[in-house]
Amino acid sequence: MALTALICDDSLLARNQLKKSLPSVFDADIITASNGVEALSILRAREVGLVFLDLTMPELDGVGVLEAIKADAMDCLVIVVSADIQPEMQKRVMELGALAFVQKPATADKLADVMHKYGLI
Amino acid sequence: MTELQFTDVQRDCLQELVNVAMGQASDKLARYLGTFVHLQVPAIALVEAALLSQHFASRYQQQSATLVSLGFFGDQGLRGETIMLYQLANVGVIAQLLGYSDDAVSEAEMLTDISSVLTTTFLSGLAEQLENSFSYAAPRILSCRDQYFADKLAYTAEQWQLALQVDIRYQLTDYSFNCDMILLIPGEAVLRLRQTLDNILADF
Repeated sequence: MALTALICDDSLLARNQLKKSLPSVFDADIITASNGVEALSILRAREVGLVFLDLTMPELDGVGVLEAIKADAMDCLVIVVSADIQPEMQKRVMELGALAFVQKPATADKLADVMHKYGLI
Repeated sequence: MTELQFTDVQRDCLQELVNVAMGQASDKLARYLGTFVHLQVPAIALVEAALLSQHFASRYQQQSATLVSLGFFGDQGLRGETIMLYQLANVGVIAQLLGYSDDAVSEAEMLTDISSVLTTTFLSGLAEQLENSFSYAAPRILSCRDQYFADKLAYTAEQWQLALQVDIRYQLTDYSFNCDMILLIPGEAVLRLRQTLDNILADF
């Protein structure tokens, strides 16, 4: 059965950009959420193997999502895809258990690199 | 009169480009100030330039504000002017943080420096995503601790058609630092911008 991957970003452009930039060899069902609250309700309802997570979002931001994933010990990998590129923020999300940090805009090259590095493709 | 409307999809696209550019600007500001900058989603609004000063006059009430302007010029008619508006309640704290002296000349110098860091980083990030490149005029102070700043804003805005208003709320680790950024662009730049957004959207 194919892996389910969740793209969580408040911007439609960013979601589409990411979806389209995913490596073609990445065999997964792609679903989307437009804020952190939506993402968490999906994560609690079904099995998701990989999350592409934006940080600055309304309702609940990416840090909040990471905290909830950690608190509930959910079994999913998280790649943060964000415009907030301050070293302090990168450190914070890595400490919260993110697998990797990708600077926006998420290009096909950047995604392929990081996914290859962690054996996702 | 140029039709200034953007569709919802164009607006979402522009909002995301602004977010990415703002992330780069925050990173630069954080390094400049030596502190972490909490980044909020900047709310953007597209308004007719003529209505701008009224909006800020009512938002800032009777308070004084300092306005710093920076002109930018890109390819294919994409050009304009950014204006940073600062409310001055917490300027002293930031001056101390950065080691500027506590006098009017230093305050003006500091706001010019901060404006320069923020706007050029922001605009470069925006230009890159629009596959354009901008050059910049030196920043200049339009109004300094002035209660009648709205008149000066109105006078400046008169020369342009569309204003892209970006509300920036920077929360530094220990201090809050509020400012507003306004991008003023002429009608032909609006057309160019919309065309570019459509091209980006067509790719996805």
